[in-house]
Amino acid sequence: MSLAEPAALPVATSAAPRLHVLKRFVGRFKASLPAYLLLLPSLVFLALFTYGAMGRVIIDALYQRATPKAPVRFVGFDNIAAVLADPAFTGAVVNNLIYAVGTAIPSIGLALLFALALARTSAVSSALRAALFLPVLIPMVAASALFLFIFLPNVGLLDYYIGRLLPVLPNWLGDSDIALYAIMVITIWKNAGYYMLFFLAGLQSVPEDVMEAAHLDGAGPYQRLRHIILPELQPTFLFVTVIAILNAVTQVDHVFVMTKGGPSNATNLVLFYIYQQAVEHYDIGKASAATLLTLAALMGLTALSFRTMANREGGR
Amino acid sequence: MLFSRRLMLGLAMAGSLAGALAVPAMAEGPTEIDLFFPVPVDGKLARDMSTLIKEFNEGHPDIKATAVYTGSYDDTLIKTRASIKAGKPPAAVIMSANFLLDMQIENELTNLDPLIAADGTTKEQFLGQFFPALQGNAVINRSVYGVPFHNSTPLLYINADKAKEAGLDPSKPPQTWAELTDWAKKLTKREGDKVTQWGIAIPCAYDYCGWMMETLTMTNGGRYYNEEFGGEVYYDTPSMLGALTWWNDLVYKHKVHAPGATPGPAVSTSFISGNAAMMMLSTGSLTYVRDNAKFNYKVAFIPRNVRNAVPIGGASLIVPAGLEADKQKAAWTLIKWMTSPEKSAWWSRATGYFAPNMAAYKTPDMVDFLNKNPDAKTAVEQLEVAKPWFATYKTVPVRKTLEDEVMLVLNGKKQPKEALVAAQKAADETLKPYNAETSLKLP
Repeated sequence: MSLAEPAALPVATSAAPRLHVLKRFVGRFKASLPAYLLLLPSLVFLALFTYGAMGRVIIDALYQRATPKAPVRFVGFDNIAAVLADPAFTGAVVNNLIYAVGTAIPSIGLALLFALALARTSAVSSALRAALFLPVLIPMVAASALFLFIFLPNVGLLDYYIGRLLPVLPNWLGDSDIALYAIMVITIWKNAGYYMLFFLAGLQSVPEDVMEAAHLDGAGPYQRLRHIILPELQPTFLFVTVIAILNAVTQVDHVFVMTKGGPSNATNLVLFYIYQQAVEHYDIGKASAATLLTLAALMGLTALSFRTMANREGGR
Repeated sequence: MLFSRRLMLGLAMAGSLAGALAVPAMAEGPTEIDLFFPVPVDGKLARDMSTLIKEFNEGHPDIKATAVYTGSYDDTLIKTRASIKAGKPPAAVIMSANFLLDMQIENELTNLDPLIAADGTTKEQFLGQFFPALQGNAVINRSVYGVPFHNSTPLLYINADKAKEAGLDPSKPPQTWAELTDWAKKLTKREGDKVTQWGIAIPCAYDYCGWMMETLTMTNGGRYYNEEFGGEVYYDTPSMLGALTWWNDLVYKHKVHAPGATPGPAVSTSFISGNAAMMMLSTGSLTYVRDNAKFNYKVAFIPRNVRNAVPIGGASLIVPAGLEADKQKAAWTLIKWMTSPEKSAWWSRATGYFAPNMAAYKTPDMVDFLNKNPDAKTAVEQLEVAKPWFATYKTVPVRKTLEDEVMLVLNGKKQPKEALVAAQKAADETLKPYNAETSLKLP
């Protein structure tokens, strides 16, 4: 009989595979029910404030009204096509790309530099760390209001000092060629200290013994950085890069306070464009379509980075 | 099961809480109403507003009004629209005067004619209390939709000390564009290529830029927009071309105005610090200049090229659509009280805005105030030549199409003519849906 048993098994499964799957599913569900119940409170709030809102955006993106008094009607992908055809949107995307690259690379570079310089704990380095972290604690809106005065043409703090060196004083926020870069400076100033924290944490995981061995083998500081520290920091780099890019899309407080996307759309970023469509144009359809496109891009980016991270973890 | 019991308990508690909130307050007491108010200039206004509302509540035991601070003019529009959509509109809102038309087109305003009629007054009598210039933004299709609350016009501010230094007589301020250009040239100081003192500063940021373009266009004989119909703007016209060309010349030909777009606060700081000898700015900044200028200053009408004319700015009180009758009535009582001569005059002195109610200027306190502050008088006199603020279908985007192009001109990226052609084209595109259902909807 011991031989017959395994033979009978496949027959049973092929007779009622569906029931079997269902049973297994119910069994599994029963087992995890307490877990779901524990998750329920947060799921309710997620559903109300995150998934519900996202669903609403998807629906709103499909509707539009032809004239102000006409009722809203289903238009399919017309809103998305209209957003993609809008030069203000493509301009905002280009600005956002420049902004993302131009803020991520310098702020990550500075953060790494700070972290390497202040990795060893002493009274001085602790004080310096605190000083570099200070901008993170200032709300973006308050920081923007401060920089508004620093950037004031002719009479601001910046022009007061730099003005003696330059032949012509620039209008930092009023010149369409400079304004975006002025905005980027604030982001770098504000975020470098935050990213420094991640690098400081990352540096803790660099194995002491490997460093000592390298030291004994006569590896210089540059070689140790190049061949030990930087490879060990790779996951940190990946994580901080993702955070920096997400910040570049989601942080527009300073644009709102300082330039409102101007002059002539020079500092218009994607999120501010969405605000303009929803509030100034009162065009919920187009605003939702632009939100959807941004959301898709961000989710794609996040998925990609998680996969890369998972691959790395798996490869180890 | 332990958790489910705990969970049930939690759910029950949440449920009863929700139930308690959902039960409508059985109001036997006073009618409770909300007033949304923005603070467009500075924080002190919020305190003045609570003083005002407290006084109203004390005098009207059957109404309990609450003043809700809602941010800037733009934020106030957003919040009002959101609460109308949610079915809980505030009873009254202090709304930027040029948003009224757009809100009326979107069916978001209560027509005030029946409330005026119920008081036994006529529309003409009711509107007759206010300066005629303010009526254009309050009346749409011959019905009253807003009551002017606080208003402003642009003014020319002159640093009198610097003018004397340059051999100019501040008691005879420039009256024409030609004189202003001449003054600005004499007031500009250079060290080589570097300008250490600008002759004149005119603000250009979203919102302010459109208002200044309307100012310059009007003094050049133009209209900017169709006052009778929300589907037309006149950007590509000789009057506006002249206005923008002059502004461009001040920057690039005469070099007496800093290049680039400069927002209002930067302009006033520049004037206060002595970096700009003259500026064009709202009367709303008068109190700020009075309190901060460490030199003698002088205010004057905006100089003309063709005629003296300026647009108004400021806000009106509105009643959103979809309100219960008792709240509507309470809101109307509040609005009439707030725009009465005494309260209007008090608010004007507290904030620096005009009192829209003409009788406010006959109150003894106001007569005193004007005698002490003759600069405030100049501002009131200019109201004689004031005209309505541009208001179209989708006012803000239509205005932005012009502002973006003007900023390009001020940054030396475009010439005035091509900029105005582009602005007209973009504005016409935005106005298209409205025209499709009005002027171009043919039998």
